[in-house]
Amino acid sequence: MGGTPFGKERSRRRGQGQLEAQVLAALHRSPGPATAAWVQEGLGGDLAYTTVMTILSRLHAKGAVTRERSGRAYVWTPAADEAGLAALRMRRVLDGERDRDAVLTSFVSALSAHDEQLLRTLLDRATADEPAPGTDPEARGG
Amino acid sequence: MGVFVFLPLVLPLTVLPIARLAEQHLHPRGTTRLLTLLAAVLGLCSTLCLGLLMVVGTAQLPGNPLPDGWSDPEVRAAVPWAEVAGAAAIPALAAALTACATALRRHRRILARTHRALDPLPGGSDTAVLPDDEPYAYAVPGTPGRFGRPGRPGRIAVSRGMLRSLDDDEQRALFAHERAHLNCRHHRYLLAVRLAGCVNPLLLPVYSAVTFNTERWADEEAARVVGNRRLTARAVGKAALIGRTAPQPGLAHFAAPEPGPVPRRVAALLAPVPPARSWPPALTPAGLAALVAAAGTAASALSALNAAVALFVVLKAATPL
Repeated sequence: MGGTPFGKERSRRRGQGQLEAQVLAALHRSPGPATAAWVQEGLGGDLAYTTVMTILSRLHAKGAVTRERSGRAYVWTPAADEAGLAALRMRRVLDGERDRDAVLTSFVSALSAHDEQLLRTLLDRATADEPAPGTDPEARGG
Repeated sequence: MGVFVFLPLVLPLTVLPIARLAEQHLHPRGTTRLLTLLAAVLGLCSTLCLGLLMVVGTAQLPGNPLPDGWSDPEVRAAVPWAEVAGAAAIPALAAALTACATALRRHRRILARTHRALDPLPGGSDTAVLPDDEPYAYAVPGTPGRFGRPGRPGRIAVSRGMLRSLDDDEQRALFAHERAHLNCRHHRYLLAVRLAGCVNPLLLPVYSAVTFNTERWADEEAARVVGNRRLTARAVGKAALIGRTAPQPGLAHFAAPEPGPVPRRVAALLAPVPPARSWPPALTPAGLAALVAAAGTAASALSALNAAVALFVVLKAATPL
């Protein structure tokens, strides 16, 4: 975490994801719940107030920040850090895209009930005749 | 030439027995390469055949911008049911190309979305650990730089839930497996075979065969890197057991108990190393089977090419081009 420093020259072409991460990072630097104006200032003031508000609302819709009314404005608290935000978005890709398995190769695929049984048997048998730990006569070649 | 012009459209059927044989006798690396090459060649031939049929069958129809000469009576005599075949070839070709375009677009979109999701995580290392209790691990292939945008290197996305359920050694096997996917560029094989399946649905079964074999290939690589097949098998098995979904009701009870991909991978890892050479000795049953398969493959590919080329030559002879 710790917030990524962004130079002004990069501020023009920032994607939404980067902006969200940046706002979230600024919110993390706040000792407590922060107002949108505080966030705007924390970002060096190179973003419009309305932009900051839009991004905060978007983060709120994603569940990445929580807000509370304080007087006439909202104060914002991060619900998750950048990694949490990444996880959130990753989950949306995984849940939302039907064909993701064609692009992202998963470590393992889903098991049927029969597969599960078979797998347990295989693993049990493997553990039963396991040789002394650290040696594996079958691993050879380089 | 007769019905032989339709041969490239149905020859992909021959890939299935070849896939079976290859899976039994070749290293998964060889199987993946062989099947991908086959699917690509047969897919190309089948598309070429569709295109030529369309030209021959429809060039003389009023309203078609193609020169009438392309549908010379002599040419049409070479193609049985030229008109019907031509008319049927149009939607078939359109469907094939649309399916390809859709698959490509989806591929790019999913990759871009995934990279965007992982962007907030620190770069530098190729591993992105996501604070998520749901156990998952994915190899996210890199993207080439285009239109001035920089390319992105491949990454491994692992959830904390997945890491928590594996011990240190098993985690090493997991990372080695995912890294093998990235280093051996498995996504290219998968995309090629997927496009082949879009072009000719008879090639669809090759896709699942190649998917399975890339997994096996990565398993073998992982076992080689960590130097322990049993450990790799345990990592795969454990990951599958914690990530299991609720069993699908109904189907599982009636379906023939053909083991799914994960038990087959684990069983293969618990068995000895598959032969590293890509060709078994000629005078064993395996060698003979491989020879027969190779001959069959060559024959199918050659006749597909032959039919496509013959059709093309007939067309060319009948046109002033």
